[in-house]
Amino acid sequence: MQPSDRERVLAQIRGVVGDRYAFADPYEMRLYQYDASPETALPDIVVIPGTAKEVAQVVKICADAGVPITARSGASSLAGGTVPVEGGVVITFARMDRILEIDIDNLRAVVQPGVVNLSLSQALKPQGYYYVPDPSSQGACTIGGNVATNAGGPHTLLYGVTVNHVTGLEVALASGELVQVGGRNAAEAIGYDLTGILVGSEGTMGVVTRIWVKIQPLPPVQKTLMAVYPDVATASNAVSAIVRSGILPAAIEMMDKLSIQAIEAASHAGYPLDAGAVLLLEVDGTPEVAEELGERMAKVCRDNGASEVRVARTEAERQALWKGRKGAFSAMGRLSPDFYVMDGVVPRTKLPETLAKIDAISERTGFKICNVFHAGDGNLHPLVLFDAFKPGQYEAVLRIGDEILKLCADAGGSVTGEHGIGLEKRENIRYVFSDDDLEVMDRVRRVFDPQRLMNPGKVFPGEGLKPSNVPMPPGYPRRQPGAAIAAGDDVWV
Amino acid sequence: MGVKARAQALPGQEINVDEQRRLGVDGLLPSTMMRPNDADDAARDLRACDLVPAAVVVWGGGTQMRLGNPPRHYEVAFSTGRMTRLLEYEPADLTCRVEAGMRLSNLQAALRAQGQRLPLDPPHPERATVGGMVAANSNGLSRGRYGTVRDWVIGIAVAYPSGKVARAGGKVVKNVAGYDLMKLHIGALGTLGVVAEVNFKVQTEPEAAWAMLAHFGAPAPAIDAATKLAHQYLAPSAAIVLDRDTLSGLLPPPLAGEDRGGGRWTLALKLEGYAREVEAAKDLAARIVREAGGRLEGQGVPASFWDAARDWSAPEDDVVLLRAITPLHGIQPVIDALPAEAQTIAQGASGVIDVRVPAATAVESVSRLREAAGAEGQVVVVAAPVEVKQALDVWGPPPPGFPIMRALKQALDPNGILNPGRFVGGI
Repeated sequence: MQPSDRERVLAQIRGVVGDRYAFADPYEMRLYQYDASPETALPDIVVIPGTAKEVAQVVKICADAGVPITARSGASSLAGGTVPVEGGVVITFARMDRILEIDIDNLRAVVQPGVVNLSLSQALKPQGYYYVPDPSSQGACTIGGNVATNAGGPHTLLYGVTVNHVTGLEVALASGELVQVGGRNAAEAIGYDLTGILVGSEGTMGVVTRIWVKIQPLPPVQKTLMAVYPDVATASNAVSAIVRSGILPAAIEMMDKLSIQAIEAASHAGYPLDAGAVLLLEVDGTPEVAEELGERMAKVCRDNGASEVRVARTEAERQALWKGRKGAFSAMGRLSPDFYVMDGVVPRTKLPETLAKIDAISERTGFKICNVFHAGDGNLHPLVLFDAFKPGQYEAVLRIGDEILKLCADAGGSVTGEHGIGLEKRENIRYVFSDDDLEVMDRVRRVFDPQRLMNPGKVFPGEGLKPSNVPMPPGYPRRQPGAAIAAGDDVWV
Repeated sequence: MGVKARAQALPGQEINVDEQRRLGVDGLLPSTMMRPNDADDAARDLRACDLVPAAVVVWGGGTQMRLGNPPRHYEVAFSTGRMTRLLEYEPADLTCRVEAGMRLSNLQAALRAQGQRLPLDPPHPERATVGGMVAANSNGLSRGRYGTVRDWVIGIAVAYPSGKVARAGGKVVKNVAGYDLMKLHIGALGTLGVVAEVNFKVQTEPEAAWAMLAHFGAPAPAIDAATKLAHQYLAPSAAIVLDRDTLSGLLPPPLAGEDRGGGRWTLALKLEGYAREVEAAKDLAARIVREAGGRLEGQGVPASFWDAARDWSAPEDDVVLLRAITPLHGIQPVIDALPAEAQTIAQGASGVIDVRVPAATAVESVSRLREAAGAEGQVVVVAAPVEVKQALDVWGPPPPGFPIMRALKQALDPNGILNPGRFVGGI
């Protein structure tokens, strides 16, 4: 933005939210150029509204001035979803973080977008209920962000992703209107399913200010098992065998040899260091059923090549197994100063051949690649290890990422399972959609946002800066070296 | 242009009088018919209609054709009858890709052969097509446990009036690439495009199932029991509350006439899951029912009962069917407002209450139920003769966000050829 425009828009916005909650000082705004992805871009103005009405007024000011709007809350996006690549106004939800209503009788809750995912489940727990979607970053990511990306998590295998648990939204549109869409009820609402189309639209249609979610009773028992395999191919085949056995596990997670070594070094989860692959499996149910299913699943694992199956006997043992998985990304700092993570999906039956191809890419390029992922639904998270200080490595890693996403798409899969297209994969989206497909999506977008001001430069190809065009001196790291270590618990998948 | 000249200018095959009658919608008759072979063919045909422009009504199995306001125009009957293939099915992936014209029962048979199923149970699966189920968002009695169409569709191919086929979603169970346009077409009644192919995720058939009937003197305790069951970890796959007349109509003759010891209301319950799970849930359900004052019926529930209860919501004749959708706590007020002559099946686990009323009093019943459903509820006329539809809006007042809906229609069907006038707010 031109300085004079910025001053004018800032003054208008301050008229709505007060001087304290809107600022444009580059130093103060530095935090808002980041999310959990490697790319950065500085906004022109940051706003911290306190009410939905304020959000709508801010959106209207921006729309009238033709200024881009990027909504942000936990900023744990791994795809650059909240990086304001075209500048403009960043709206952040730090002050809109309240649970507005918990209605056990009708199995629903109402929250503001800045509510941290885990805190809703914690609030429900004393009454025996929870909110199901559980991204690994659930201690930091917010339900507003989950709605934007249609977030998943390990337990979505059995219970579905965010869109399956959201029934209605209040949204600020580019017109400045505040509209409630969808139903407060779990059953179908009349008219087009605007809630369904807004969930997962990555902030490109409007700014969500209130969310109606379903809640459900906590499973009485969660039985967690670890199965040890000689290699990822055997483990992948075991995943297919479990899926076909008639057991519906709540989660099936896989970690390969390199990941196991990093995790053990970092968190001593108890994974065997000589294993080629480990599966972490969980079944939910009443005590008698969970016990039986655990035994049945252990048998399927053994019959399909597991050298050892260990069942968590206590909650502490269960937490230790999960701690290893949920801390996997932070643990990678033990292996390498930087890593690049992907989010491809393949049909479950294509897991063995896809993992073999990824291994071949690693061999060919000399970059180590770890695999820690949601095996039950075929959602891969290959992590390419590199050193951003070494000239050319970051560019090489982007090329590897591109190649891996292409092979996921060619296997009948997708280029993103839960992180979103964001900034990162807007060119890769072409691997799964034609121009005709994208043209219809753009028409739908323009119904909500005719000027394309909402989170511009995301989702669609050919808009804004391409990652390869982002000015960067050769060899200069995007992250500070050692960022993966420094990031510590701030990096999850 | 005169009527005859216009008919000659329409694309598609001309049809005879019998076909015309069969394909009539709310008293309007089509002049021609199109029967595309696949998605691309459907898009070409739609383009031809758009150029005229000619009003199109899409036909699948015809089980939900009574849903919607009377069309403003109707010239071309657009049938998916030639698009019936199961294009892909990989049991180990628990996914499939199906052409829109495939009968749901044929899809279920193919899945069953592999021990799998799509846990959606709309009425008349032997006639209903996959595309029709998606377009009408047609669900059955199990929605409280398994969700609705939107929870099982993972990808879609749609033919648009522009002549293009555009896809969204994909073939994998977890996927956030691009916009979720599946949601836009589910329940849109074909007003935004013609659903040509649908990708589903499916599930393994449950190990065990158990059903029971319990009789109550009044609806309130039966609804309470159903709601309590919906709060259990293993929610019932069906928990319906019905009045005595409805029950009698759904049971085979020897059972139908039976005396139920003064039980005027019945809770019919179905549990599904792993064998031991169902065993334990059964005892819990029986306890909840007894605590609510219900009397368990000794004999089992015939399988035909559940099929009949499912089909009851898509009546064949000139019966009026109303559907109230409310929060769980809104079920009782709707039941209390039912006219004396009404019959009902209320889904205690999802807040969907289907009501049959005579055509003569339908308009009055609708306004009564709309009042009882309150601000959080909605009442839709799911099926009614045209005279009833002409006297009211079957969808009720347009919902908030309606201007966006109208703009979506304008963006995807600018000439308004698809099912004009039948959807919410005259879309």
